[in-house]
Order: sequence, then structure tokens, then C-alpha cells
Amino acid sequence: MNIYRVWQLALFELTRLFATKRGLLALAAFAMVWLMILRYPIGHAVPFLSSPQFSEAAQELAGNIGLRELVSWPQAELAIFWLIALYSFPLFSLFVCSDQTVGDRQRGTLRFLSLRSTRDELLLGRFFGQFIIIICLIALTALATTIVMAYRAPELALSGLGLAVTLICQLSLTAMPFIALMSLLNLICSSSRLSIVLAILLFTLGNALLSYLSSYLPLLDVLFYAFPGVQLMDIAPQTNVPFTLWLIPLLQSCALLALSIVVFRRRSL
Amino acid sequence: MSTLIEVNHLSKSFGSKKALNNVSFTIESGATTALVGPNGAGKTTLFSVLCGYLQPDSGTVRILGQPLGHPSLFGKLAALPQDATLDPRFSIQKQLCFYGLLQGLSKVEALQDTTRVLELVGLSENHNSKINELSHGMRKRVCIAQALLGNPKIVLLDEATAGLDPINAREIRSLISSLSDDVSFILSSHDLAELERLCSHVLYLDKGILTTHNRNEQTGSSKYLTLQLQDQYKDAKELLKQLSGVLYVSQSQNKEFIIEYQASHDQFDIHLLKYCYKNNWQYRQLVNGHTLENQLFQKD
Repeated sequence: MNIYRVWQLALFELTRLFATKRGLLALAAFAMVWLMILRYPIGHAVPFLSSPQFSEAAQELAGNIGLRELVSWPQAELAIFWLIALYSFPLFSLFVCSDQTVGDRQRGTLRFLSLRSTRDELLLGRFFGQFIIIICLIALTALATTIVMAYRAPELALSGLGLAVTLICQLSLTAMPFIALMSLLNLICSSSRLSIVLAILLFTLGNALLSYLSSYLPLLDVLFYAFPGVQLMDIAPQTNVPFTLWLIPLLQSCALLALSIVVFRRRSL
Repeated sequence: MSTLIEVNHLSKSFGSKKALNNVSFTIESGATTALVGPNGAGKTTLFSVLCGYLQPDSGTVRILGQPLGHPSLFGKLAALPQDATLDPRFSIQKQLCFYGLLQGLSKVEALQDTTRVLELVGLSENHNSKINELSHGMRKRVCIAQALLGNPKIVLLDEATAGLDPINAREIRSLISSLSDDVSFILSSHDLAELERLCSHVLYLDKGILTTHNRNEQTGSSKYLTLQLQDQYKDAKELLKQLSGVLYVSQSQNKEFIIEYQASHDQFDIHLLKYCYKNNWQYRQLVNGHTLENQLFQKD
């Protein structure tokens, strides 16, 4: 494996988002959505959480759903950002990373590339490129939230920045197996749209089927660990999160990428 | 001469259809090789296996002494795959530069090489165009340009001139001809006249079975000339048989004769042309040996 070629392939993915008309339009749409999120859900929830009149009720409500620690954060904007981003970025990753190799395979462009890099390099280069894109988007939104927070309470700017960096790392790790899943689905499906449909079916029908089967065979519960995002509910409260929960997305990503490499090596181009 | 490609007992099936059936051959450096065969004969399958796009069911392929897909082949083995095209979201220059970078060129070298190959295929004005802004012929030339990036040793061109207008097809042919001293080309085409001009070695595939022909090969004590006359002249075949040095004459087509003559006969071609002049025959073409068409399809 040549790291230089993997890096070149990853860099080229970045230009797909940041240097093409279609990519910039998608980026503009993404920015607008997050502007709305910052303006309304985050903007409206923070005064509610900070006000002494409502904070007790909010704490009680949050405590009931296991989010008491989160509500007590002085950086309230980042607490709400965490909850929204934790569930939206994995879903968003499925859509943004839905065309890692399938479009190029259908077009034949992979044939040009496969004479210049190994299939493993191609797959990993594309994966890392998409991962860097998602990290950039998470970082941009986290920094924007921190700026909104610093505007309200300038004294929290420094601690907020530290917390934002932690959240960026945690969210990136959470989104990672979703990108790896799309790497794999791209090799099985004939279009990016079909990859998304298959991913949605996996998370809905697959999950329901496994729940049904595991009610008869409790041993099957272990298969839930194959689903990216299985730990989301447990890490959401940010209290007493065991280290092993952060290992799950890492292990899932490695397993999905290893499987993708095996499939890609055997696939016709 | 060194062996560029060595294929041993290669087989590939799609369902019950055998696309390649125990194919074996070698290609030496310096040879321009034609891959000929009817539609569905397995030409594109063979190309795809040689490029590593398809995994063979059995058999081995070694290119420049290396197994398929070996990183040392990057930049040395290039190809124009059938129906493959560049990404329509990026300019041609950007993509070719990127390919150059993957081949190990520096940014400056990649840019210079992109300019060079685009000039070679007559597209120096289209650096910043996107592939879907170009005509079919221009797209094909861009794909040929990517195959010439860097310093390839082997270039596989699958139907390189199909769909090109005669002028562009001629330019591509002359480009192949001019580069063939440094690069070994393997061409697949249905245009036998084109292959006749460019290739010294022929691989003929039919129903997955391969036969090889060396176009300059001489066997035994006889040689061949193929004479194509302008008109159908009376008793031409009989008269040709009477020419000294002639061993056998067969008629391959209406006005075309294959003449077998004694290899020891000096300047037989001059002798034959003088004979045509004497008999008042206008000739259209005189081919040294068999025409590729006769070589492949003549039954007797």
C-alpha cells in the first residue's frame, strides 16, 4: 500500500466538494440548513435552558430521558448542537458519501484509476477523502455554534472551544462507520441512489427483523453491534460513557472496510 | 527482444459461455499486435483480464515479468478501455494531472505531460473543457491521451478508431505508428486494413479460442504475393500460373490472386509487375505475403 497514492486519492475527493459547482451548491445548502438550526432550535432552546424559571423543569425532563448532565452544561448551545449533530451527521454521512466508487465504476473511470493505483488504495483513498469532508463539515458547524455561544457569553469562549474540539472528535468517530458502510454498499449496488435505499432498508427493516428474531434467540442480540450507530443512545447523555463505547465505531469501521476490500478485490470493473 | 506479456492457459466464463478458452500466447517487445475476431469472440474480455479489470477463472498472466495488478506496472501498462470515460465534473487537464500524480510524477511534470499528450492527440485547445462538452471523437482522443501519460511500455487500445471520422482515425493511426518504436501497442479493431498497416503480429480470437499469426513469417522454400487487379481480365489466373517461378495461384476474391513462388527467385515482384504490364493488366495493389483478411479467413 502506497500512502502517497492514498493521500492523492483522498485529496481529489476534497476537490469534489470544495472545487466543483455541484459540491459548492451542496455546501451552500448545508450552510443554510445549519443557519436555520443555529437560529431556531439552538437559538430558542438556550434561553429556555438558561432561565432560572424553566431550568428546573428542563433538568427534570432531561433527567427522565437520561440527559441531565447535558442540560447542566454552561455551554448550552453546544449541548443542543451535540444532540442534533449526534443523530443528523450519521444520517447526513449516508447521503454525502453515497457515491464513493459506484459512479466511477458505472462510468468506467475506475478503469483508468485502477491502472495507476491498487484497488485497496482506491477504496481507502476514497473513504479517507469522504471522512475528511465529514470532519470538515462537523468542525465548521461546531465552530459556528461556538461563535454563537461566545456572542451570548464571551466568558465561555475558551472552555467552549475546548468542548467543541472534543465534540468534533466524538462526532467524527461516530460518523466513521456510516461512511465505511457506504463504501461497502457502493461495491454491491449499481448506483448511489440504490446504495442509500439499501442503507435505509438495513437500518429499518434489518433492525426490525433482528429485533424480532432476537426475541426468540437472545444470542442474536450480539448482531446489533454490526449496525453503525448502535451506541448512539448510550453516548448521547455524555455521562459515564465507558471507553469501549468509543471503540465500537472504530471496530465497526475497520470491519466494514476489511469486508469492502475483500469484495472490491474480487469485483469486475 | 524481451517478453512483455506472457499468458498461459487463460480461461474465463460468463455463465455457461466460455469467453476465453485455454488461451496462451506471448508478446515480445517492439511488436505491434492486433487482436482480431468477430463480435463476442472474447477480445474485450481478454483486454479486461490483461488490464486487471476481470479476474480469470484459471490461467496465469505475467506482464513485464510481474503478475497482474502489481504496483510496478503502474505507469508502464496503459489502456484505452472500451466505453470508459472521464469524470464529467472535472476538467480534462485536472484529471490527467491527477493521473500523472498517481503515476508518480511531480505536479509540474504532471502538468507538462498533460499538455504534451493533449497536443499529441490534437486537443491542445481543450485543456479546460469537461468531457461532456466534447464530441464522441474528441472524448475518444482524450482517453487515448490518458493512455500515453508518462512513459508507458505497453498500451492496449480497444477499438481506438471506432466512431472517429476518417481524418481523426488517420491521425490516431499515424500517432500509433510514430510511437511504436518506443511503445508496444496491442490494438483491437474490426478494421483489417488499419491493422494491416500497423501490426506485425496478429492474435485471432473466435469463440474464446486463440490462434496466432506472424505476418512477416516465411515458411519453407516458397513465398507469397497477393495481387489485386483493377478489372476482371480473361484467363488471368491461367496466365499467372505460366509465369516463371510461380508454384501455385489461387483466387481469393473476384480480382485478387494469391501467388506462391519460389523463395530463391530474385526480384519476383518486379518480374510480376513487368508481366502485368506486358499483358496490359492494371493492378490496384500488390501485397508482400497474404493480406490480413486472407490470412485470417481464407480456408484453402
